[in-house]
Amino acid sequence: MAIKVLIVEDNPVARSFLCRVVRESFSDTIIITEAGDLESARRHVGLLDPQRSEPLAEPFKLVLVDLELPDGNGMELLAELARYPATKIVTTLYSDDDHLFPALQCGADGYLLKEDRFEVLVEELQKIVRGQPPLSPAIARRLLSHFRQGPGGMGGLAEPGLAGTSGFQSSRPMPLGRGAPLDHERLTPRESEVLTYLSKGFTIKEIANLMGIKWFTVNDHIKSIYKKLNVSSRAEAAVLASKQGLV
Amino acid sequence: MRLRGANSPSAAEPATSGYHASTDPGALDSGLIDRSFGGTEPLSRWMGWRLRLLVVSALLGCVAVLLLARWLAEAPHIEASWKVGPHGQLELASSSDPLLKLQEGRTLLGVIGGDNSMAVVDALTLRRSSRWLSDDIERERHRAMHEQLSTALSRDKVKLFFSEGEMVEQALAQRGLGSLGAMFWLLSGLALVLYLVAMVVLLARPTARNLLYVLAALCQAGNLAFIAIESTMELALPLPLPHWNMPVRMSFDLLTAAAAVHASALHPRRIHGAAGVAWLGWLGVATLIVLLGSGQLTGAWWWLQGSVTAMCLVSIGLLTWSHRIEPHPFAIVMRRFGVLAVSSWVLLTLALTAANSVPLVQQQIAAVGPTIWYVFLASLLLLLPFLSKSQQVMREFSLLAAISTVATSLDLLFVAAFSLGQFASLTLALFLSLGLYSGARQWLLNRLRNQNVLTTERMFEKLYRIAREVEAHPERTPALLTQLLRDLFEPMEAVVIDKRSLVTRVTGGGSTLLIPVPELAHSETLEASSIVIRFAHHGRRLFTSEDARLADRVVEQLRRAVAFDKAVEQGRSEERLRLAQDLHDDIGARLLTLMYKAQSPEMENYVRHTLQDLKTLTRGLAAPNHPLSHASAEWKSDLTQRLTAAHISLGWSFSADLDISLTVVQWSALTRVMRELVSNVIAHSQARRVDIEFLLEGDRLDLSVTDNGVGRNPQAWAHGLGLGGVRKRVKQLSGEVEWREVPGGGICCRVCIRQLSERT
Repeated sequence: MAIKVLIVEDNPVARSFLCRVVRESFSDTIIITEAGDLESARRHVGLLDPQRSEPLAEPFKLVLVDLELPDGNGMELLAELARYPATKIVTTLYSDDDHLFPALQCGADGYLLKEDRFEVLVEELQKIVRGQPPLSPAIARRLLSHFRQGPGGMGGLAEPGLAGTSGFQSSRPMPLGRGAPLDHERLTPRESEVLTYLSKGFTIKEIANLMGIKWFTVNDHIKSIYKKLNVSSRAEAAVLASKQGLV
Repeated sequence: MRLRGANSPSAAEPATSGYHASTDPGALDSGLIDRSFGGTEPLSRWMGWRLRLLVVSALLGCVAVLLLARWLAEAPHIEASWKVGPHGQLELASSSDPLLKLQEGRTLLGVIGGDNSMAVVDALTLRRSSRWLSDDIERERHRAMHEQLSTALSRDKVKLFFSEGEMVEQALAQRGLGSLGAMFWLLSGLALVLYLVAMVVLLARPTARNLLYVLAALCQAGNLAFIAIESTMELALPLPLPHWNMPVRMSFDLLTAAAAVHASALHPRRIHGAAGVAWLGWLGVATLIVLLGSGQLTGAWWWLQGSVTAMCLVSIGLLTWSHRIEPHPFAIVMRRFGVLAVSSWVLLTLALTAANSVPLVQQQIAAVGPTIWYVFLASLLLLLPFLSKSQQVMREFSLLAAISTVATSLDLLFVAAFSLGQFASLTLALFLSLGLYSGARQWLLNRLRNQNVLTTERMFEKLYRIAREVEAHPERTPALLTQLLRDLFEPMEAVVIDKRSLVTRVTGGGSTLLIPVPELAHSETLEASSIVIRFAHHGRRLFTSEDARLADRVVEQLRRAVAFDKAVEQGRSEERLRLAQDLHDDIGARLLTLMYKAQSPEMENYVRHTLQDLKTLTRGLAAPNHPLSHASAEWKSDLTQRLTAAHISLGWSFSADLDISLTVVQWSALTRVMRELVSNVIAHSQARRVDIEFLLEGDRLDLSVTDNGVGRNPQAWAHGLGLGGVRKRVKQLSGEVEWREVPGGGICCRVCIRQLSERT
């Protein structure tokens, strides 16, 4: 059975490059749909046809979204696809946590840096699809302070030097909301430990050694952290939305 | 009067509040602080009985002055003015009465009153006060003569006998308020003011020390009143003044001197055995008053002048001692005043003695000298409660006082020693002292100004340096501000205390300045605190309210400098951010396209490097500083990823004794050096392993990148773009870099930066 992939990228050269990366990464038959902006991406996914109640016959399994698009930010699409059953990956030139963290909050399952070499990209993409998302030290730090501050903690405000650079921040407002942290808003001690090691630049193998666990267990922790971030962010968004009378 | 009463308490407060402060020498006693924070006395405290009492006493004073004036105005009056003739006789100077006008220039020999009482007059009659007659017999004669004259003048008509047998019968009239003269009103006004200040001090806090001040002030007010009355004299003072003049004024002087001795034993510091000294002083004064009053001592005037001088010298000695124990600047100021007062007092006494042989001159000195001296003393007393209020007033006053003293002394000297005429000596004295004043003033001001210019320059430099430091370390604000204030005021003590004073103010009688520490930079950890500095200029100067204002202005300037620095920094960071974003968005996207379209892997790699450099650059622009620990984590993670992709293992060793904050330059230089070195290894060495050691110890950074590849003979390498870049970056940080062959194969690159924090 063919795997349907959606690539949202405005630069045609980059788009064809990403197509090559996707084809190289999987041995299955690949059907690639390309979109140059958010609007056509929404059309392809079916977000623009509310009257069509039944989902598309064949949903996309994999969505690659660029952040900077002519008609908006890729994060908008990610947020709209919150319940869409696909692996969503951010492809970007911005490797700093100020850009990537909000994208992860919006439900991205991983990120690819477009300037990486072809082989590196292929490997990273395979890893994400297998459930081994990347996590840079900067993002790990951001995650730590996010969860330490509880729900609605303004991300990296506790991290001077990172928070001060809000210029790279998206226009999307950070979710606000206060209250006792729920389970999905808290990290387990193990997860915190993994994050702490990651924030100090340790590799997954080193962390596994240090903690005396298998590397894929470390990986599970990372995946779980990803999920918690997304869930907590979505919960915050919902709280915010209901407060504002949107829901 | 009402207004004055309502305003004065805060003015009188400094003189009184420091009284208990100095029980504990040297250290800052908590009592002082507590009392200082107890606050400026609220005005409401003055709205009750104090104000009422003050108003009542002011009214009483005014009524007393008016009654006195009325009494004097009712005194009998002969329409004539008199003068001392060249041979010590009493001459009729001028008169508007037609009968008397005929007698102008004739000597008055005697007066017969309506009740046939007879008074014989001579030049002594015109001496206004028996207080300044040095000879006992003369004084007695003066008293008797004045009493006779007053009796003779107490009826409606008098007969005036002139030389050459002339006799004029004259009807007496009341002189009326208008003829009392400006001198009377001026002097009684001054006496009234002194009396009111004394009342304010008394009502503010009736402590022992304040009572002493009140006593001295009232005595001097009395002296002024006497002089005012004497200034209205024509031929004789009305009864019973001739009798009481000497005893009362003598008591005033002695009591003032005793109060001065007692006060200097208590303030600014209670010295050991103060009670004994005080008792001795009061006992001596009481004995003297009794003995002199009963006329048992011969040479009364000499006893009086001598004992006043002695007591003032004792007082000066006590102040010197007190200052040696505790360097309260009040003692120094008081001592200066004391020296001025005593020296002019001695000078006056000597001048009167020297002029003994020339009655005319002596009379002039006795009329002018004491008046000036008492006015001077009264002004000193008036100034006392306001010492720590205004430096400007102090400076002006001391200049004025010095110049008047010089002028008076010169005048007296010329009159006494060179027997110059009154007018000539006065003119000459004024001329000389004005010349001296203008010369000395210029010299003094120049000296002051030069010092000030220097300090102002240094001050600004310090202000801005401290502003930057405050910005970097907000928690050190109190310490830095204390340093600044130390340089400004050179106090003997400067302490930061954990209490908040609302305003900057002077307490402890001018010995202490309290400055609240402002919140210059936003920091939640900073607690409310104040800085207490004591004894300005090593205890040689009193703090005044101008100093408080200066401190406020300095703090305000500091606040502005910090705010300005912040605004500039924010503007710069916004600008950098915008620049970074533009660079990243535009150039980044194009480079990416270029990279995808690259014809060869070399080209692709080159563009990728460029893109990465661009990202480093923009990242550095966007974030002004990076903690070393964060940067090292990113370096490690980045290098691991790249080396893993090239199938090279990484040995990473990192150690830093301090998690410093890297500046943009340091961060981007180190990032690029490391990336470049690793890229080199990946591209050329065919190594299986790279070891990176990063060691920061005491500001010295050692970085080594060692591979086990095939590289040889690094001296022969062509230093292309890559290695040239490394050299350039290391040089930027004032460091050194060298490549060496490793025994057993491979290349080791060492970077050493000896003082990392030097170049920022």
